[in-house]
Amino acid sequence: MGKEVEKAEKIDELYNSFLSREKLKQYKENGKKIIGTLCNNVPEEIIHSFGAVPARMLGLADSTELASSKIPTWVCLYTKRIMEDALRGDFDFLDGIVGMTSDDTKSQFYSAYTFYLKPEFSYLIQIPYVRDDLSLNFFRKELERFIAKLSEFIEEEFSEDRLAKSIAIYNEFRELLDELLALRHLDSPKLSGEDWLKILLSSTAMLKEDFNNSLPPVLAEIKDFEGYKDYKLRIHLSGTDFYDVEIVRMIESLGGLVVSDDLCTAEGYYKGIVEGFNLKDLAKRYLNQSACVLTAGLENLSIEDRLNFIGERLRESKADAIILLRDRGCEICGHQCPFILQEFGKMGIPTLILDLDSPYPTEQMRTRVEAFIESYG
Amino acid sequence: MEDLKLQEWNPLGYKTLYRNLFKKHLARQDELLKQGKKVGWFFSFHPSEIIYIFDVVPAFPEQYSAYAAARGSSVDLIDASITKGFGHFLCDYFKTTIGMIEEPEKATKPLMPKPDFIVDTRALCVAHHEMTEVFARKYGIPKYTVNYPYWTSDALGKVDELTKIPERVDELYMEYSIAKLKGLFEFMEKVSGTPFDEEKFKDVFETSEKTSKLLIDIAKLMMSKPTPGSQREIADLVFLGFFVLGSDYAYEFAEKGYEMIKERVKRKEGVVPEEKLRLLTFGIMPWHSLSLYEYCEMMGATFPVNLYVNASLHLCDAKNPWESMVRRSMHFTNSTYDLLDGVVENARKADLDGALLLENTGCRITSMIIHPLADVLQEELGIPSLILEAPQCDPRVMPLERAKTQVEAFVESLL
Repeated sequence: MGKEVEKAEKIDELYNSFLSREKLKQYKENGKKIIGTLCNNVPEEIIHSFGAVPARMLGLADSTELASSKIPTWVCLYTKRIMEDALRGDFDFLDGIVGMTSDDTKSQFYSAYTFYLKPEFSYLIQIPYVRDDLSLNFFRKELERFIAKLSEFIEEEFSEDRLAKSIAIYNEFRELLDELLALRHLDSPKLSGEDWLKILLSSTAMLKEDFNNSLPPVLAEIKDFEGYKDYKLRIHLSGTDFYDVEIVRMIESLGGLVVSDDLCTAEGYYKGIVEGFNLKDLAKRYLNQSACVLTAGLENLSIEDRLNFIGERLRESKADAIILLRDRGCEICGHQCPFILQEFGKMGIPTLILDLDSPYPTEQMRTRVEAFIESYG
Repeated sequence: MEDLKLQEWNPLGYKTLYRNLFKKHLARQDELLKQGKKVGWFFSFHPSEIIYIFDVVPAFPEQYSAYAAARGSSVDLIDASITKGFGHFLCDYFKTTIGMIEEPEKATKPLMPKPDFIVDTRALCVAHHEMTEVFARKYGIPKYTVNYPYWTSDALGKVDELTKIPERVDELYMEYSIAKLKGLFEFMEKVSGTPFDEEKFKDVFETSEKTSKLLIDIAKLMMSKPTPGSQREIADLVFLGFFVLGSDYAYEFAEKGYEMIKERVKRKEGVVPEEKLRLLTFGIMPWHSLSLYEYCEMMGATFPVNLYVNASLHLCDAKNPWESMVRRSMHFTNSTYDLLDGVVENARKADLDGALLLENTGCRITSMIIHPLADVLQEELGIPSLILEAPQCDPRVMPLERAKTQVEAFVESLL
């Protein structure tokens, strides 16, 4: 039992750095530039190679009344929370932001954010939705364009060597997480979904080299743990920019165990090694992100890629069921949910949709999850 | 309330022109269908010239949905889409089209013909791309994607709101967009079975240029004092700007429409005898309740500027057809908000008193920009805005009577 407490404490220590943004503020005090990112597909390695700190922007506000005076009330929670934190001044420590044209909300939100908050530096990366040579070439050049603007802001020359080093650090981060992920796939998983999400979130709020140094002792504790045996249902979590640990805790308190996901904040964020050390390799990795919901090969549909990505996660993790976290304001969830339901329904995999909107109807969710787990567990 | 006594409404008379336009458009469609030509689905801001270059039958989910909303079937279709698991807060056009596919018996007839292929451009929204994927998967048909950038001021400098002529264009973005457009032409050759014909290409773009000039002139003349026409007529110009630019019938409409409005301006005749307020409007029109505009106009509040219509326009340059197609995407709704400057510059010429802005629930493009637009209009032109939540195909969110009351109060406060 003592071991378990120690493990939980170590994970919470990591998670607190996400909740407090303490490390980011420390970097800032030490003279580093902090660049907020508005999408998991922003190639953080580029920012990192300039000696700056890429920090995924995830709002922590419980209510969003300030945001609602600037953006529609029905857009996704992810956006509303960032706007709320920003308007409250909680992102004042950022030196700049980088967005991406990954979906309408993110493009328009980038505009709204820069319009109202006027960050010192901002750049919107144009991502193609097609994976062909033409688009890959364009994307590489677009990243060069981003590099030029960032270099001007940071007043530092771009260095290919430094980029290679940053790529190596990020690849190490991905390998460490793969090692951690494998522990979720065991018959007696050694890591809960709640702890997994906490660890992933902490990685978005510190330099990856610091994360890479902090993780091994935690990993050792996790490996020592005998594993969870008394769960009723292995669950795959599907969704987008989800990071509410409390919901995962609620699912797991009812006998579910979250063993895999395709979230933009977790497996969809870190999966995919950069195969090489130059800008083209980096462009390829980000354009080929199969968890990304919009890009696809010339003859393919991105929804097929996403279904394959989920299918792969289900096979690896031996998940029995899917819980689909559908942010009511998320256009991607809105368009793709029926296909996920249909596709995995055909395979006999039970799926539960939880509509997310603020405030969460926690008791209703609990009842539905409980019934789901009882039915299929 | 004496001030708000309803006046006699005197529209331009475009109704007959639209009737002829649709008749000719549908006749062409029927003829080509008989010949076994392929059907393509297209969205607003696509390069509509390709329809006429490759002799395909076009169908437009947005236009069909607007039609269904005007005819009253969109509510059932939206509900059908939600029943199938699609999200509440998606584009009304998407939900209405899904409803038409899933429950055709509830849909306004004629239905859109089934597509053989589909084209999406990110000239307005990523939602077009998302819905294209859904439709392509449902029908098992090929699709082509043109990835225009979401424009930023550092890529364009300033942009003229009506012509879409920018100060400059970042070469990287222009080259990539043109390369994708050339890919689209190859795709069109393949799916239509019609080889590319250089002469036809030239002809269609010449027609497009002539038409686009006239449409821009109509938008400019609408800013005259008093406002010469009604938004009930002007709003439909988007059909020409978005969908049939390049056709002879669009040119014929534009020629006649231009003459009619020119004459009226010459006579200094307005849409109502006494113009009391001049309002700007923006947002996709609530197709189910267009009479809201008529009602405002009858109260003496006219609309010399409709930014939604303006967004649909661009000055086509037949000598530079590829660049023209790209410029079509350089409207303020596909740009960062610092490019609202161009909107303000044009609106300043119209001597405005206020703005009626429509937040189209489910449309992130028109809705996210509403508050910044209202702020800019207040700061730069000193005019207040009324923001109404008004999805374009779902009257349940904006019942007409409630909207009228809100508009009345707004108008009263401005008088």
